This record gives sequence, structure tokens and C-alpha cells, in this order.
Amino acid sequence: MRPRELLAAARARGRTALDEPAGKQVLTAYGIPVPRARVVVSPAEVAAAFDTLTPPVVVKGISPDVIHKSEAGAVRLRITSAAAAVAAAEAILLAMAAHTDRVEGFLVEEMAAPGQELVIGGVIDPQFGPLVMLGLGGIFVEVFADVAFRICPITPRDAGEMLDELRAAPVLKGARGRTPVRRDYLTDVLLRVGGERGLLWELRDEIAELDINPLIVSPHGAVAADARMVLARTAAAAA
Amino acid sequence: MSRAGGGLSRPEQEIRDYFAPLFAPATIAVVGASTAGNGRGNVFIDQLRKFGYGGEIYPIHPKAAEIDGLKAYPALGATPKSVDYAYVAIPGPSVPAAIAAAAGRVRFAHILSSGFAEVPAGRALQEELLRAARGAGVRLLGPNCNGAFSPRGRLTFIYRGATDPGAVGIVSQSGGLGVDIIRRGQERGLRFTGVMTVGNSADLGPVDLLEFYLADPETRVIGMYLEGIAGGRRLFDLLRWARGRKPVVILKGGRTIQGTQAVVSHTGALAGDERVWTALSRQTGVVLVKDLEELIDAILALQTLTARADRPTRKVALFGNGGGTSVLAVDAFAERGLDVVPFRPKTRAALEALDLPPGTSVANPIDAPVGTLRQEDGRIAEKIMDIVYGMDDQDAFLMHLNLPVLLDHIRTGSSVAANLLDAAERVRQRNPDKAQFVLVLRSDGSPEIDARKREYREQARLRGIPVYDEMSGAAIGLAALRSHAEFLRRIAAD
Repeated sequence: MRPRELLAAARARGRTALDEPAGKQVLTAYGIPVPRARVVVSPAEVAAAFDTLTPPVVVKGISPDVIHKSEAGAVRLRITSAAAAVAAAEAILLAMAAHTDRVEGFLVEEMAAPGQELVIGGVIDPQFGPLVMLGLGGIFVEVFADVAFRICPITPRDAGEMLDELRAAPVLKGARGRTPVRRDYLTDVLLRVGGERGLLWELRDEIAELDINPLIVSPHGAVAADARMVLARTAAAAA
Repeated sequence: MSRAGGGLSRPEQEIRDYFAPLFAPATIAVVGASTAGNGRGNVFIDQLRKFGYGGEIYPIHPKAAEIDGLKAYPALGATPKSVDYAYVAIPGPSVPAAIAAAAGRVRFAHILSSGFAEVPAGRALQEELLRAARGAGVRLLGPNCNGAFSPRGRLTFIYRGATDPGAVGIVSQSGGLGVDIIRRGQERGLRFTGVMTVGNSADLGPVDLLEFYLADPETRVIGMYLEGIAGGRRLFDLLRWARGRKPVVILKGGRTIQGTQAVVSHTGALAGDERVWTALSRQTGVVLVKDLEELIDAILALQTLTARADRPTRKVALFGNGGGTSVLAVDAFAERGLDVVPFRPKTRAALEALDLPPGTSVANPIDAPVGTLRQEDGRIAEKIMDIVYGMDDQDAFLMHLNLPVLLDHIRTGSSVAANLLDAAERVRQRNPDKAQFVLVLRSDGSPEIDARKREYREQARLRGIPVYDEMSGAAIGLAALRSHAEFLRRIAAD
């Protein structure tokens, strides 16, 4: 399905946000890499899904009621066998029961190669329209609020300057013996999210907020390991 | 929301022509002057006359034949010639009908009356006013504002405004702050191409005036005081399109209330008014300031000094009396990205060869006690400056004079301070492409010293030299210059 159809379908079901598989389909439509994945309905199907992927994999429970998946016990990482994948799905079902009776399925996806974790986000400002945000994952965003915003659509120069504006910019450049993060990987995703033909600008009437958290940048590329897309309360008529 | 892109809403010449009747009206109508001579409109007429307004003034009054010696007319549509600018200061509920009566014969009407959308009960009245204006072909400024100040048209809403033409275009969403900007600004050396107060901006708003100032060849720098701005997107698109063709300084008051939708994402929680304005500043080169003083500080430098994309203002030479003052200044400058770094060894050797009296430091800052400054009746400054300008690569040269100390040590009638300024002027003229010159004149606030300072400030102003009261203000001005130049440099590669 195309992005607008995905959004319309979610809205038709009374949803306020896209679930993770749908969110990642939207990212894919804009050329933002996501892990290879399968979506299944029951724990029993997880084994077959596992067999089509390259381990290690991640298993995640899908529910419209659960916003913070990790806190709800809906995420299991570093799974290396089909049996372990099935067990993980069963454990997720049990853990999520405390939060919801609507577990709609499981996302089984290849684990992204380790790298620097970043957050790329978007929000629609009532005055200025879509804004795109960049920050480093974990405490950099959550504790220090070390983020850079720009008004969309951004230019390649804007994207580069967002990186340089972060207080943690030296971390990206390889401070204290770290592997430097490829700027081009990051600016490419920033432009696909916030640029002139990017997701936020094109869908500005349809969505209210976006979190890609984390975006993992390794020497092989950037991968959106999780995506959350909140629908605009009232969408403009489909353009 | 508009498409991406922005740009002027029409060709530049059309914008200039469109707003010409507002900035230089040939005819002015005054609604709200009384036969008793005590209306706000009467004051306005008096202000116009004292400011040297040379066009025709038509008082509007339902019954009177004459007001303040001028023939009065019963309605806006009943004047002999059509009206370029109408000043409307009558009770709010009467305004829509007064505007409707203009019937295509009034270009701009400034509505000073209040009781419109600035209070919830006045929203309907503002709608009614806007309908009346659209129907009568009138463009509105306000309501709930103070008026227009435009030296080129001898149009004013205050007494004692400076009539000489300037280079600073201001638009303010607060009338009171508009007055402050004119009064304090002109005391500190600003001269204006316009100060437009727009109040509730029912029709014309800050962005419309920004378009004019961008298109107006007389305006070199633009200052905006903004509260809640409805046209945020248009502001951004226009500024981005302008690519820093003129420096724009924005003082933002109040916080925008975010949308009512509760945020659930990290991004939503981190977004906020300050983030948006910082982003706008980074993307458009706009200089953001925190208060009225900073607004004036920034504009003062940008009014006459030209931002150099090939050489942003970073390295500053300090020269003056007061060692502690320059030590503190080095810190204040560093906080704003300006460096006070030692001169080149050759420069320093040449300064040392002047054999200045003990107590003089020539490293940068150059600390020169009064005894040094009074050498050759102040002309020593010229030698010092010639060396720095000729041998070093400073981006700015700041001379600071602590006037009470300087004047107390010198016999009455001495012209040391004046000579220092003359010396600076000669060096500056000889080196137009070198360090940009800024003056700090420090006073103790006593009437005698303040009077002298005012004289010196005026002399400097006429030569296009920005004069600051303190080093901190000069730091803000030079940092604004640097920031604008760096923006031009950043976008040059786009």
C-alpha cells in the first residue's frame, strides 16, 4: 500500500497512530532503509518467519494500545533460533496481557548491525508547518535534550548543519576513539524525512508526529530500527 | 499552508508603489479630531505640523465645518481628493461604519481604536471592520496600535521624532514598543525609514511590511517585534527566499501556545517555540535578540556597517582607557564568538617603538591610561590606529573612552576627545576595507558628562560610526554583524 492508503486505512480503523509495520512501510516508500522483516499473527507462525530471515532477529508484539513497547515487555532482542523466537513471542503475549487484550500480531525482523543510535523525528507546528529533528539516541535526547530542529523542507546544507549543531557532534565525528559516523548516511535520511520530496513535507496534512528511534548508523548504512507515526487528528481531504 | 518556496507576493516595483501612499502620503484624513481640540486626532494633527508634514490634512467630523484651522469633511468618502492615509481614533464600535464610508477613496487606514480581537468580546467587531474595509477597498493597519512613523513622508505619531532620513525599517506588533524603538533608538543613533505599528494585524501584518522593507532601496536593515504571528509560514518562506539580502533582527515576545493535540512522541515533547525560532534563525540568517536594548544594539551596527561574507567579523582590536573594562570586554566578546587575540609580533613591535608612557599595554587590548591618550593632544591615537590598521588583520577596531576620567584629567576646553574621534575618522577613511570601527563612550551618568557624550555621539553618528554605551552592547552589535556575514558565507555555496 502507498503511504496515504496506509494512513487512511489506519484512520478508518479508528487508530490514532500507525503500528510499527505500517510505519516502516511508509518509511520504505520514502527510501528510508528498515530491517528485513515478516509480520505474523500467532506465535506458532514465528518459526517460519524466522527461517526466512538472517539471525539474529528481534521479535516485537504489535498492539494499538501499547505506545512504549519495551516498557510493556513487547520486545525481545538477539534471537538466534526458531525455537527461541517462538518462545519469545509466547513470553511477549504473556507480558503484554497486563497492558492490553489486543495483540494483533508479531513483527519478526533482522537485528540491525550495531552502530551509533540516533533519533530523527518530525512534528507539525501549527504556525510553521512540519519541523524535522535530529538527536543522538539514549541520554543525549532524553536527558540533555541535545537536538537540532529545522523547518521543512530542508536543504542539504540544513541537514549538514543539523549534525554540526548538536553538542554531541564530536561523538559523530569520532571523539575518544569511536568510529566516525558517515555524514552522508545521516544527511540522506534527514533529507528523505525532511527534504522537499520528503515524508514530512508530503504528508504534512496527514501526520502529527514522527519518531524514528533509534536510527542505527553502522559502517554498512543507516537503518530505522523503530518507527512511530501519529496521525493528524483531522486529515485534510486526500490531495 | 502555502507551498514551499515563498518570495515576494508581487514584483518589487509594484510593492514599492503599493506602499508609497503609506510611507509618504500626499493626503491624510483624521477621524477622531474634535472641535474642542482635545481629541487624539487633534494631537495627531499637531504632531504632523510640527514634524513638517507638507501634504493636505482633512479632519473628518459629522458636523464641524473646521477643526484646528482646517476645513473639515463629514465622511472619509467626502474629501476633495482621495485619501492616501487615514488616521482613525474613534470608539471601536463606530469604526466599521466610518471605514465603509470611504467607498474606494482611502488607500490605507491606521486604526488606533481598541476593543477588537485583542479581547474575546471584540472578535466579532474586528470581523465587521475587516468586511467593511474589504468592501470599501481600504487596507488596514491595526486595530489597537499606535500609528505610523515615516520620516520620508513626514508622517509621525509622536513628538520630537528625528526627521532625517534613515536606513532602519521597523515593524512592531506593540505600539508602545514602537515608541520606545523610535525614542531610545534615535537617542542612540538610529535613523529610520519607517516604524510601523500593526497591533492586531487584522489585515496587513508584519510580513507585508517586511516585504516592503525588503523591496525598499532606502532600507538597509530590518527590525521586527513579533508577538503571536499568524503568518509564520509566510514569514519563513519570505525570509528564506530573501537569502539575507538585508539583515533582519527579530525580537520575539510571548510564547506560542502549541496545538491542543497532546504530544506522544519524543520529538513532539522536545519541540517548542524556542526551537522553532532557533531553526528559523539558522535557516534564514535572522538575528534573534532577547530585549529592546539588544534589538537596538544589533541594529546600530547593521545600520552602517556592511557584513562581509568573505571576512566575517571575528577578530576585534580594543583600544581605550580602563584596563578592567577591556578585561571584562574580552570575556563578553568571547561569549559571542568574537576574539580579542594578540597582535602579530610586527604590529606589536611597531606599537612598542612608539615608546608610549609606562602603564600602556600594547598586546591587544591596547590599554592606554589618560596620560597616554592626551599625548599630542589626542593625536597619538592616529599613530596607534595606523599601525594596527596597516600591519594587522583585525576585522573590527573598537575604541572605548571612559569620558569622566578623560575629561577630568584635562584642562577645560581641551579637545582631546574630539581629536581622538578625528584621528579615528582619518584612519578609517584611509582604510575603508579594513577593520570596521566601533566606538564605546562610557559615562558616569552625570549631567555634564552625559551632555558631552551626546555631542560626541552625534558627531560620530554623522560619520556613520556606531556608538555604544558599554562594551557589552558593542559585543552584541559586532556579533550580529558576524552572524549575518557568516550566514551569507554559508549560503554562498548553495
